[in-house]
Amino acid sequence: MKYILKVFSVTFMSLILSFSIANASSGVFKVSHDLGFGKDTNLDAITKGRLFQVVIKTQNRLVRPDMNGVPSPSLSTDWSANSDATEWTFNLRKGIYFHDGSAFDAPDVKYSLMRAKDPDIGSPVRKSLNVVEDIEVVDQHTVKMKLSTSFADFPLLLTDYRLRMIPEGSGDTIGQTGVGTGPFMVDKFDPEGTTILKANPDYWEGAPGVAEVHVIAIPDAQARIQALLTGQIDMNRYVPFNQKKIFDSNSKFTTTVIPTGNWRGVVMRTDTAPFDNPKVRKAFRLAVDRQELVDLVMGGAATVSCDTPVMPSDQYRLQMDCPQNISKAKNLLREAGYPNGIELTVYPATLEPTWPTIAEVVQQQVAKAGIKVNIEMVPSKGYWNEVWMKKPVSMTRWNQRPADTILHEAYHSGAKWNESYFKNADFDKNLADARSELDFNKRKKAYQNAQMTLWEQSGTMIPYHVSRLVVTSSKVKNLDAVDHFSIQWHKVKVD
Amino acid sequence: MESNLITEDKHKNKLEKAFEILKTMASKPSGLIGLTIVLFHVILALISPYIAPYDYKAISPNTMLLAPSAEHWFGTDSLGRDVFTRTILGGRTALTVTFFGSLIALLWGGLLGIFCGLVGGKIDDVVMRVVDAFLSIPWILAMLLIVSLLGTSTEVLIPALGFFYGKGIVRVARAATHDVIAKDFIVSARARGHSNMSIIWNEIIPNVRDAILVEGAMRWSWMLLGFSSLSFLGFGVSPPTPDWGLMISNARGLMSFAYWSVIAPIVGLSSLIIGINLTADAFAKALGIDRSTKAPV
Repeated sequence: MKYILKVFSVTFMSLILSFSIANASSGVFKVSHDLGFGKDTNLDAITKGRLFQVVIKTQNRLVRPDMNGVPSPSLSTDWSANSDATEWTFNLRKGIYFHDGSAFDAPDVKYSLMRAKDPDIGSPVRKSLNVVEDIEVVDQHTVKMKLSTSFADFPLLLTDYRLRMIPEGSGDTIGQTGVGTGPFMVDKFDPEGTTILKANPDYWEGAPGVAEVHVIAIPDAQARIQALLTGQIDMNRYVPFNQKKIFDSNSKFTTTVIPTGNWRGVVMRTDTAPFDNPKVRKAFRLAVDRQELVDLVMGGAATVSCDTPVMPSDQYRLQMDCPQNISKAKNLLREAGYPNGIELTVYPATLEPTWPTIAEVVQQQVAKAGIKVNIEMVPSKGYWNEVWMKKPVSMTRWNQRPADTILHEAYHSGAKWNESYFKNADFDKNLADARSELDFNKRKKAYQNAQMTLWEQSGTMIPYHVSRLVVTSSKVKNLDAVDHFSIQWHKVKVD
Repeated sequence: MESNLITEDKHKNKLEKAFEILKTMASKPSGLIGLTIVLFHVILALISPYIAPYDYKAISPNTMLLAPSAEHWFGTDSLGRDVFTRTILGGRTALTVTFFGSLIALLWGGLLGIFCGLVGGKIDDVVMRVVDAFLSIPWILAMLLIVSLLGTSTEVLIPALGFFYGKGIVRVARAATHDVIAKDFIVSARARGHSNMSIIWNEIIPNVRDAILVEGAMRWSWMLLGFSSLSFLGFGVSPPTPDWGLMISNARGLMSFAYWSVIAPIVGLSSLIIGINLTADAFAKALGIDRSTKAPV
């Protein structure tokens, strides 16, 4: 009997041990970032220089987009609104702790969101969050947000990838510590070298699948491809489509094509001559053959955009056609006082691998309308600080956001990241009307009117929304086939 | 009449000397190969605009990454442009920029070196320390700084490359001048009251010219490599100008499945560099110059 008990005990213990080992975090998941913000790179999600490859793994939002982009619970379990959608109540998840050991509760929510509205910090997300007038701590696990206007899509706004929850009072240090409630904790922050994240064993959705995540700074796009090929990194989410063949035929890699709302573009500053004339801006945009750009730059893996930043799958997107029209472009230039055309310089960097190619193709296309484009390459490091929003014409790229957020953030006259310095009262009014409108069809109409204004007036040429070619080492498992900000990182495993 | 005859004789002598040097260079296989390669590239650069089969700027999604064929001898690149057209025109850009860059380097580096070698003293000390300071700066960083500030046009690149590759020539020209100024004919020129400029022009240059020319030829091949490195990094000539470094940079990610888009510019660049090196070597030997000391033997 004793012998049977002993055998049973040993077997039972072995099973427990095997089960524990099977569920423990193991392996290292190595990714890269482009160091586009240079010395300003930090871990404060609401600042311009946020290193989102780290922040999205260490901090949670109240509400996150599910695999279809629909708001779903994260640190808030459920929410409700009053009848005119001016007050929203969010119930918070209980028993959640930050990496520093403090409990997550309602004052942290108020602190995190009010901080994003702080004019002294000047967060790029401030403009879209301005609709929040006050946040009331109802109890330790309930907050009530009072809005300045009705806003039926408010939870959608809270899915913004930067609206992360941080401990109350941690604003001065968050840029270096990155403390949050996420599946990974910052072990070493080295923006110009390798940032090391350790698994958070107490993560509320379960222990992460990998023990560590290494986030390595590699500014050059081709160097990142080589790093993937040589095993220095396990994932590259910016592989150009013309290099897909390299990985398709190699069993060491897995390729996934993900349609996204991410976009690339050429930005003309609307406060600088000759682009202060709307006719010149529209002439440039009309001279571009968007489908040819999709074919040449993206190998066909993108959706043509008529200068709207609203993603193709968004319910508020304005559907329209915008074929290249050289004669109309020439006429507009003539009417604007430039019968002999204009000359401009664009400044691409290789931090976005498709920028130089976009510039070259656009250069050839708009030449037919008498627009001479000079291309001057600039260093990747510090591009966002020294070129973007500084030069009269620059290249841009944006990750997807809900319609209301991207329209506010990139074009509203008071927005910090209004990269083309676009100011249009009708546009701002349409956005305000859309927010306060409770009827879906009327709201949709207002958002689409705003997009039509962009087509007529804007300074940003958006040729397409990209499909993302994500290449991972075949060792990587359980990676959600969605955009960065919807991925549940704790599920990722590396064999 | 008599003076005209003397001038004609002088020209005849110079031509004969040049012909003799060329003959000596071509007498060795390495010299003959070098000269042939350089001559081939120069001729190709001159006639390339007339023999290029396609517009080097013409992009098309229908001709992207086509393999070599009768229509596109070297295939097409990722934007559907003909690689043969861009390769032969790319040599024209490289040769033009680096030839004029080398000429500027030779002129300013050679003249400043000779002047310092001749006058010596504090001026020499100060100038050489400044040259040393510049030599200690990695050229690629300095060039990146210049093109970031002034742009990447050929009007900027040619003088910038000429300046950076002329620093080394200053030292060689100064050393060669030091070997010459102790000679009797310089002493007697000074005794006759000739000015420094006159001594430089009439006495020193004819005696150090060969050493400086050989150094210039070597610098030309280094400059070619430097210029292509800048283009590879994206800081050489601006697109869509066809350029070997830029072509290699654009096609490097496609090497494993579209090798043709990168092989032609690599062969063009390396063959020209080898050709210039072999020619410079043969040139030095024909002039009786030991390149290890960079001074007349």
